Amino acid sequence: MKTQLIASMLAAGMLCTPLSAAELTVLTAGDKNMVDYVNEYLGPLFEKENPGTKVRVVGTGPGDAGSQKILERFEAQGKAGVEKWDADVAVVHEKFVGPMVEQKFLEAYRSRIPTGSLVTRANAKIALGTNVDGYVMPMFNSQTALAYNPALVPNPPKTYDEIVEFAKKNPKQFGYNGIKGGASGVSFVMGWIYAYGGGDAQKLMNGPFDPNEAKNWDKAFASLKEFTRNATLTPGNAGTLDMLSRGEIAVGPVWVDMFYSWKANGQLPPEMKLVLPAPGMPGQPMHYVVPAKSANKELAEKFVALATSPKVQAEGIVKRFNWYPGIDAQHVQANLDKETWAKLFTDISPEELAKYGKPFPISPYNSAILEAYERQVGN
Amino acid sequence: MSAKLETKVSDAWGSETPPQARSADTSGMVQATGSAAESGGWAMPVQAIGLLLVAPALAVVVFLFIVPLISSVTGAFDVGGALSLGNFAKAFELYSGDMLFTLAIVLLSSALIALFSIMIGGYLTLGSNPRAVAILRWIYRWPLFIPFIVVGQILRTFLAKNGLMNNIFIELGLMTPLSAMSFLDWRGIVIAFVWKQTPFVALLLSGAMASIDRSTIEAARNLGANRLRILVEIVLPQVRTTLLVGLILSFVTMMSVLSVPLMINAQSPTMITANMAFRINAYRDYGVANALGLISLLMTSAVAWIYLRQTMREHSR
Amino acid sequence: MSAYLDWKWIPRGIALGILAFIIFGPLVNLLLWTVTERWYFPHVLPLKYGFSFWANVFSPRGNAMSSLGTSIFIAILTVVLSLGLAIPAGYALARLRLPFRGLILLALLIPQAFPNLPVYVNIARIFYEYNLNGTILGVVLVHVTHGLVYAVWIATAAFSAIDRELEEAARSMGASALRGFWDVTLPIAAPGLLASAIFVFLESLDEFTGTYFVGAPDVSTLPLLLYTAGSGGNYQIASITALILLIPSIAFMFVVERFLRSDVLSKVGH
Repeated sequence: MKTQLIASMLAAGMLCTPLSAAELTVLTAGDKNMVDYVNEYLGPLFEKENPGTKVRVVGTGPGDAGSQKILERFEAQGKAGVEKWDADVAVVHEKFVGPMVEQKFLEAYRSRIPTGSLVTRANAKIALGTNVDGYVMPMFNSQTALAYNPALVPNPPKTYDEIVEFAKKNPKQFGYNGIKGGASGVSFVMGWIYAYGGGDAQKLMNGPFDPNEAKNWDKAFASLKEFTRNATLTPGNAGTLDMLSRGEIAVGPVWVDMFYSWKANGQLPPEMKLVLPAPGMPGQPMHYVVPAKSANKELAEKFVALATSPKVQAEGIVKRFNWYPGIDAQHVQANLDKETWAKLFTDISPEELAKYGKPFPISPYNSAILEAYERQVGN
Repeated sequence: MSAKLETKVSDAWGSETPPQARSADTSGMVQATGSAAESGGWAMPVQAIGLLLVAPALAVVVFLFIVPLISSVTGAFDVGGALSLGNFAKAFELYSGDMLFTLAIVLLSSALIALFSIMIGGYLTLGSNPRAVAILRWIYRWPLFIPFIVVGQILRTFLAKNGLMNNIFIELGLMTPLSAMSFLDWRGIVIAFVWKQTPFVALLLSGAMASIDRSTIEAARNLGANRLRILVEIVLPQVRTTLLVGLILSFVTMMSVLSVPLMINAQSPTMITANMAFRINAYRDYGVANALGLISLLMTSAVAWIYLRQTMREHSR
Repeated sequence: MSAYLDWKWIPRGIALGILAFIIFGPLVNLLLWTVTERWYFPHVLPLKYGFSFWANVFSPRGNAMSSLGTSIFIAILTVVLSLGLAIPAGYALARLRLPFRGLILLALLIPQAFPNLPVYVNIARIFYEYNLNGTILGVVLVHVTHGLVYAVWIATAAFSAIDRELEEAARSMGASALRGFWDVTLPIAAPGLLASAIFVFLESLDEFTGTYFVGAPDVSTLPLLLYTAGSGGNYQIASITALILLIPSIAFMFVVERFLRSDVLSKVGH
C-alpha cells in the first residue's frame, strides 16, 4: 500500500514537470482581482487570438511581499543556473523592477512590441532612480489618496496642513498603516517628507542621492511622531480600508485601485470618496516584465502587446476596474465613451492628478526615509 | 499506592534509564536478569540502530532545510563582504523592544494555552456527565482547522471596536456603544494565538490523558479526592511530557507566524516575524532579517533546551 | 434525580455557552462573510447576501476544485511520509540510548523555529538544482520538513510515555523486537501518533509560501489562492476558501477518530 503510494507520488512528480511549448505562465503580484484579470479576461482573449496557446496565472500576493516573491523566484533560478525559467511574464511593483534589471533578469522587449511607443511617461523609463527603459510596460498606474466618508467628514482635508488640523480636532479619526504594513502608509510618510522635509522634494524623487539630506528630516519626523499620537495606526493597506469600512476611522490614505476593489466587493459604503491632498502623495505603476530566460519570449511579448493595447487598456483597466491606464491617456480615451472616462476622475480631477500625483523617492532616499521613520517615529 | 505511582511516573520519563537502575526499584515486576544482561551486550549496536532509525528523518531536515538555512544565515554575519556583527547590532538597536514584546506575547499565550488545554483535557478525562463531555469534545476543536491567515482576518473583523463581537454585545444590551473598545493590539495577538493553539495542545493532552491507567484515578476517587486534586496530583504528572511537547510546538509555531501580527496588530512594538518581512520587502536587507531569524531561533532553542535538559535530568534520576 | 441534574447543568451550561461563544463567534463571522455581498458600517449584519463570490471561486478557469484535489493529495502523501520517517525516529529517540539526543531533537525543530522568510530563496535554489521544482514530490518534501517537527516530537513523547515493562514482558514471552513493537508499543502510542497525523495534515493543507516557491506554477494548491485573497483583505474569497478547506480537514479528523476509537476499544478487550 505504502510503496504503491510512493510510486504513484513519484509518477505524479514526474508527470508534472514538462512544460508544453504553447503554455504561457504569468506571475502576478497584487490582489485576487489581478489574478482574476489575467485568468478571466486577458487569458481567454489571448487564447482566442492565438489558438493553441494556454495562459495560466499564479498570484503571489498583494503588496511588496508579492513582488518580492517574484524577485526571489528569479534569484533562485538564476543561482541554480536554470536554463529556461518557469515564468514568461510577470507583473510587479515599480520598486522591484530596478533590482531585476540590475541583476540582468529581464528582457528589453519594449522596442519590439507595437504598443511600446504608446508610453511616454517618465515612470516607464526610470523606476525609483534606476534606468529601466525598454524593460517594462506599465499595466496600470496607481495612486495613493485619502479615502473618507462624506457623511462623517463633509469637508475633508485637502492639504497636509489640513490633515494635521483635522487630526488635532478629531483625535484618532485619521488612520494610516505606519510603514510596516504596506505601501499606502509608506506613501503617506513620503508625502509628509515631501511637504515638511525641509529640502527639495524634487531631489528626493530624481536624485542625486546625498546622505546628508537625512538631517533635514528630523523636524518633519518629530512633527510626524506628534501627529501620529492623534492618529490611529491601522494593520496594513487592507487594514486602513477595513477600519474605514467599519467607521472606526473617518479618513485614511489608501491605494486608489484597492479602494475601488473594496467598493466593488461591497466592503465599503458606496458613498465613500477620495481626495488627493496637496502638495501631493506618491503613486506607482505596476509593470509587465519578461524574464530574459523565459521559454516563450515571443509569446510573452505578444501577450504584453495585447495587454497594453489601447483597446484592452480601455476595456480591461479603465472600464472594468476604474484604474488609471498604463499607456498614455489619449490612446485609451479614444476607445471609451465619455461617461466611463469621466468616471475615472469623479473624485480626483486630471489636473489634481497631474499636480499632486508624485513618484516615490529614488531607492536610496526611500530606504533612508523608512529607516529614519523606524528610528524616530516607530520607536 | 503512592509508591506505585512514583514508579509509573519515572517510567514515563525513563526512556534512557538503564534497565538495571529501574529493575532495582521495580524488583519483582520484571524479570530483571535477562534484560540487564542484554543491555550490557547490546549497548553499541543499539546506538547504531538508533542512529539508523533517526537518520532518514534527520537527512530530510538537514538537506532540505538546514543546508539552505546555513547558506542564508551566513549572510547575517556579513556586512559589505566582511565578517561582522553589525547586523546583530542593528537588529538589537532597532528591534530590541520588539524582541521582548514577542517573547512576552508568546510566553503569555503559552501560559494561557496551557491553562485552557489542561481545563479542557481534564474535563474530557474526568468529567462525570457524558453529555457535557460530548458537547465539549464537539466544540473545542474547530479553531484547529482554520489557517492562521484566516484566523487573522476573522478575528480582525470580530474583535474590532465596531466589530461583530461588540455589535452583538450592544444589540443584546450588555454594553453601550460608547464603552466599546478595540482589542486589535497585543491583546488581539494573544487572543488569536490562544484561540488557534489551545485546541492543538488540548487534543494532544486529552489523547495522552485518555491513555493513562484509569485504576489510579478510580482509586483516588474512591478515597474521596476531588476532581481538581486528581487532575493536578495524578493526571498531570503523568502527561507532563505531552503537555510540554505540545507547548513547545505551539511556542515554535507562534514565533514563526507572520499573518496574525500583520493583520491584527498595527502598533509598534510588533513581533519579530513582522520585522523580518519588513527588512526583506522594504530594504531587501537579508542580513538583518537573518540576524532576527537567528535571534528568534535562539529564543525557541532556549525554551526547547530547558525542556530537553529537564527530561535528561529526569532520565538520570 | 432530575432536579439534581438540572442544578448541575447551570454552571455547566454557562461554561459551555461561554466556550461556544468564544469558538463559534469568530466562526459565525467567517460564515457570514462567505455569503456577504455588501457589509459595512453601521450595519451589524450584512446588507445583502448572495453567492456571487462562490461563483468567482468556482469559475471554470479558477481551477479551485483541481487545486483542492492537489492539496488533499499532497497532504495525504505528506502525512504518510512524515509518519513513516517519524515513527522509527521517535521510537529511537524515546527508547534507544542515542548520542546527541537533545541536539537531534533540536535540529528537527529548526524548520519551524527559524522564521522561513529569508530561507525560501535558498530552498527554491536547491530544489531547482535537484529538478524538484514544479513537482508534487518537491512540494511534499517541503511540507514534510515542516511536518516532521510535529511528527517526530509528538512520536517521541508518545513512545516515551509507554510503560517499558509492557514491551519487555512481550519480549520475555518470546516475541521478537519487531513483533513486540508492532503488537504492543505501536498500538499504545497510536493516539499520539494519530494526533500528530492530524497536525501534519493541517500543516500541509494550510501551507502556501513553500508551495509557491517549490510547486508553482505547475503545482497549484488551494491555499495559494487563500493567501492572495486573505492578505489583500478580500474577506469573501478568503472565507469561502477557508470553508472549502475545512471539509477535507474535518473528514481526515473523522477518519482518524474512527481509527482511534476502534483501536482504543480493541485495547479494552485485551
